[in-house]
Amino acid sequence: MTDIRAAEAHEEPRERPIWRSILTHVLLAAFSFAMLYPILWMLSASLRPSGEIFGSTSLIPSQVQLQSYPEGWFGLRVSFGQFFVNSMVIAVLSVIGNVAACSLAAFAFARLNFPWKNFWFALMLGTLMLPYHVTLIPQYVLFLNLGWVDTILPLVVPKFMATDAFFIFLMVQFFRGIPKELDEAARMDGCSPFRIYWKVILPLSLPVLATAAIFSFLWTWDDFFGPLIYLNSMEDYTVQLGLRSFIDATGQSNWSGLFAMSILSLVPVFLLFIFFQRLLIDGIATTGMK
Amino acid sequence: MSSNSEPPAYAGAAAVPLVVANGRRARLTRALGSSGAAYVFLFPWLAGFLILTAGPALYSLYLSFTDYDLINVPRWAGLDNYMRIATNDPKFQDSVRVTLTFVLLSVPLKLAVALGVAMLLNRGLRGLTVYRAIFYLPSLLGTSVAIAVLWRQLFAGDGLINNLLLGFGIQGPSWISNPDTALYTLVILAVWQFGSPMIIFLAGLRQIPADIYEAARMDGASKSRQFWRITLPMLTPVVFFNAVVQTIDAFKAFTSAFIISGGTGGPVNSTLFYTLYLYQEAFGYFRMGYAAALAWILLVIIALFTAFSFLSARYWVHYDD
Amino acid sequence: MSGFGKGRSAALAGVAVTALLAGPAIAQQSGDIRMLWWGSQPRADRTFAVIDMYQEANPDVSIQGETVGWADYWTRLATQVAGRNAPDVIQQDYRYMFEYAGRGALLDMMPYRDEILTLPGVTEADLESGMSDGQLWGVNLGVNSVAMMVNATIFEEAGIPVPENGVSWQEIKDIAIEVAEKSDRIEYGVEDSSGYEPSLHNWLRQRGKELYTEEGELAFDVQDMTEWYQFWADMRDSGATPPPDVQALDQRSIETHMVTLGNAAMGFANSNQLVGFSQLNEDEIVMRVFPLVEDSTSEGHFFKPSQLLSVAASTEFPELSLDFVNFFITDTEAGKVLDVERGVPISSDVRDAIRPELDEDGLAQLEYIEGLDPYAGPLPPPPPQGAGEIDQMMIQIGQQVAFGQLTPEEGAERLVSQAESILSR
Repeated sequence: MTDIRAAEAHEEPRERPIWRSILTHVLLAAFSFAMLYPILWMLSASLRPSGEIFGSTSLIPSQVQLQSYPEGWFGLRVSFGQFFVNSMVIAVLSVIGNVAACSLAAFAFARLNFPWKNFWFALMLGTLMLPYHVTLIPQYVLFLNLGWVDTILPLVVPKFMATDAFFIFLMVQFFRGIPKELDEAARMDGCSPFRIYWKVILPLSLPVLATAAIFSFLWTWDDFFGPLIYLNSMEDYTVQLGLRSFIDATGQSNWSGLFAMSILSLVPVFLLFIFFQRLLIDGIATTGMK
Repeated sequence: MSSNSEPPAYAGAAAVPLVVANGRRARLTRALGSSGAAYVFLFPWLAGFLILTAGPALYSLYLSFTDYDLINVPRWAGLDNYMRIATNDPKFQDSVRVTLTFVLLSVPLKLAVALGVAMLLNRGLRGLTVYRAIFYLPSLLGTSVAIAVLWRQLFAGDGLINNLLLGFGIQGPSWISNPDTALYTLVILAVWQFGSPMIIFLAGLRQIPADIYEAARMDGASKSRQFWRITLPMLTPVVFFNAVVQTIDAFKAFTSAFIISGGTGGPVNSTLFYTLYLYQEAFGYFRMGYAAALAWILLVIIALFTAFSFLSARYWVHYDD
Repeated sequence: MSGFGKGRSAALAGVAVTALLAGPAIAQQSGDIRMLWWGSQPRADRTFAVIDMYQEANPDVSIQGETVGWADYWTRLATQVAGRNAPDVIQQDYRYMFEYAGRGALLDMMPYRDEILTLPGVTEADLESGMSDGQLWGVNLGVNSVAMMVNATIFEEAGIPVPENGVSWQEIKDIAIEVAEKSDRIEYGVEDSSGYEPSLHNWLRQRGKELYTEEGELAFDVQDMTEWYQFWADMRDSGATPPPDVQALDQRSIETHMVTLGNAAMGFANSNQLVGFSQLNEDEIVMRVFPLVEDSTSEGHFFKPSQLLSVAASTEFPELSLDFVNFFITDTEAGKVLDVERGVPISSDVRDAIRPELDEDGLAQLEYIEGLDPYAGPLPPPPPQGAGEIDQMMIQIGQQVAFGQLTPEEGAERLVSQAESILSR
């Protein structure tokens, strides 16, 4: 069988001259600063009074005040802790739903033959192309009739029905990259398609599953449109809706609170990202099969 | 997933016990035929598609032939909406021009940056995890209202970019609010958020078997030759995927323009993305029927682009199957 | 003169009578309703407090309050209304309200005027802004008018007196040039208001014209628009106003306003936004009436509702919803909680009750509205359907003229012809 240990394995650091390492790091660091500048600015904005945010362009606040953090955290009718919990629940359920349901569908598209396959695949891709604004109202009516509005069900249940075609397509592309001989051998051994899916394809696809998990989590965390439409009471709000509650273009707004909570809202996703990364990177190397 | 709950440790065992353990299921599969099994796998998606997606999508197709105003019962209007779009809608033309420009600029740039950074990060250097996370951070801010303020800080007349340019003696315009340049600031925003394709490229690079590189090195292939002869061809399924979904996404780009232009698509429609225009028609001016027609035209445009990508894929995308 | 002025004097006499009526709700209500409004946290705190007060007086009533910011509000409301799940009590914007009313989404409150919607301390004239064709679609939540926001600190630093009410546009131009020259913090004196519909409206009214007729047609012509664009072209050429790419930063939000961004010393906004301006500006912001044109009718301003409270046509509990509206707008204790955060209350009783409790900005707002009579005329006809789209078009064509893509004449012609085509659609 093919050895598919990660490409990284063959990169032998000791062969590389030290100056090249340093150069790469310097380049990466400079690039990082450009990538990070806006976030640094946001951090600095969260440390200054609202009146100073819009007039000045300097990165260094004239006076540092930390109170926008507690004021932002407790400033709304419901504390931000609740929003974090709500977002976390929705995001974790979405990850489970997306990874489970989309990998099933992707396996069928990538590895099985069945009539109308191309037709269904085209329809599946087609669902990526229709702007959601025009299906919003029929969907809303549907969920309203089910009694699901003002609960998290409209945000979570569709994920278990693989409505996010992006992930199916993503997994199809990766599943197709796994050598066919593997399932043929397994089939010769008498494995059912379910077993091939579970024992052959999934273990070899940890990087893409981790990728799908990361994206599911982050995109659900970032989404404000679904929660805006389906969650009415503030107790159920997600972090993104909470953030938007600081701002009203026509009246008073708590901008320093917004920036402070925006910074905090990045912390869990950042940590999670670093955690999932390990899965993504170590994925194949540790599960390489012989 | 629940239908297959055997412990993974069982997997590597010999063939005979597997047949015994799976006898019933194997018989079931045989009875259904392989297409039956396929539909079992497809079931969650198919149910979701038929119930949650197809119904509302078809309803919106119906609405596109009506004068639906969100509140009153829709009245049949025949082809009126489509005729109007085709013959008498300068904003439609503006929005198509803006969107095409955005797609053609942002997608290749974003993919190039994403691939370049992914290659750079796919090495045995220490601390790369941190860089990966840092490079992904901007993508986390996608829909945040804070982005609007940030981008003004950078690209307004007295913003950071112009302050830097002043160092070189150049007095720049107010990039973000000038109709000639506003769209480019959104392109930069899109490219800055290259995190998602970067991660997908990384995952793709991880899947390239290492022994291929070893063989190439034995043959004395240079780094650039390895890239063109191994990395890129092996990566084509992922390149293809990224190109297709990024193109679709760029055609549907909404949030960044909505946030940065305050929902107007200004100045002078220079950032009036297609879906932003559609949104204005639907929710600003109560013309959901018209917006639905716009949506289906967009779907056809994107579908044509995608179909073309799939046709061309035969010639340059290499699968292992 | 204005409904506001009349309302004040007429209602003072009836304080004793209305105080009796304004107590707890007439009949104990019961039911479950929802209220939706836009705003940020300070408004939410006040509104929820009033909801709690009402629920305490009516233990069988439950009111679910829902709130989002302005940018998200109209999507959520439209989805709920389209899904036949409209909130019972809806905070409305002056223009959007007529769009919703014209499509049958709102309840005509007129039949309830005698029994439930008694509105003590409020005159008929105060209600006009929520009416069309004798039907009442919404009750004014707060009186408002456009105002010139002036950064007084900049003027003080430059050693120039802050302009008084009643100065002419010509004088403002000179003042703008002078203040920009003498101040080292701002580059321009006054913002370019050529694309701001309320400024055009004020200017037209001072010339004896209007935006729209009673019949919902355009009430101005190409000549008016040409002069308007020409006037602002002169302002730009003289350096009194910012160049178009700077002005285009403005998105009609307080944080993108030329005054807040520190680009100009004077700009235009709504009087109930003073608190928001004070919050985002470290400098002192004061309000003045709009500058006058030559031979002004002095009736450019009018008392506009900052927001209105409407009731959905689909509500299961019309009486309860209206009783709550009545309480929200006329109860003096509720008024003390609501303050002038949504604009100056229309009920004279509530105004008198809150006056002693107002802070500096609140008092400035109240005094601005009370001092506006000499500059205010009758309420304009309700905006027709399509007015929102024409407003957006005014921004765009105003920018095209400013950027030099169109001459003032071309801009005027395009605006009038496109507006007419929108209105006939």
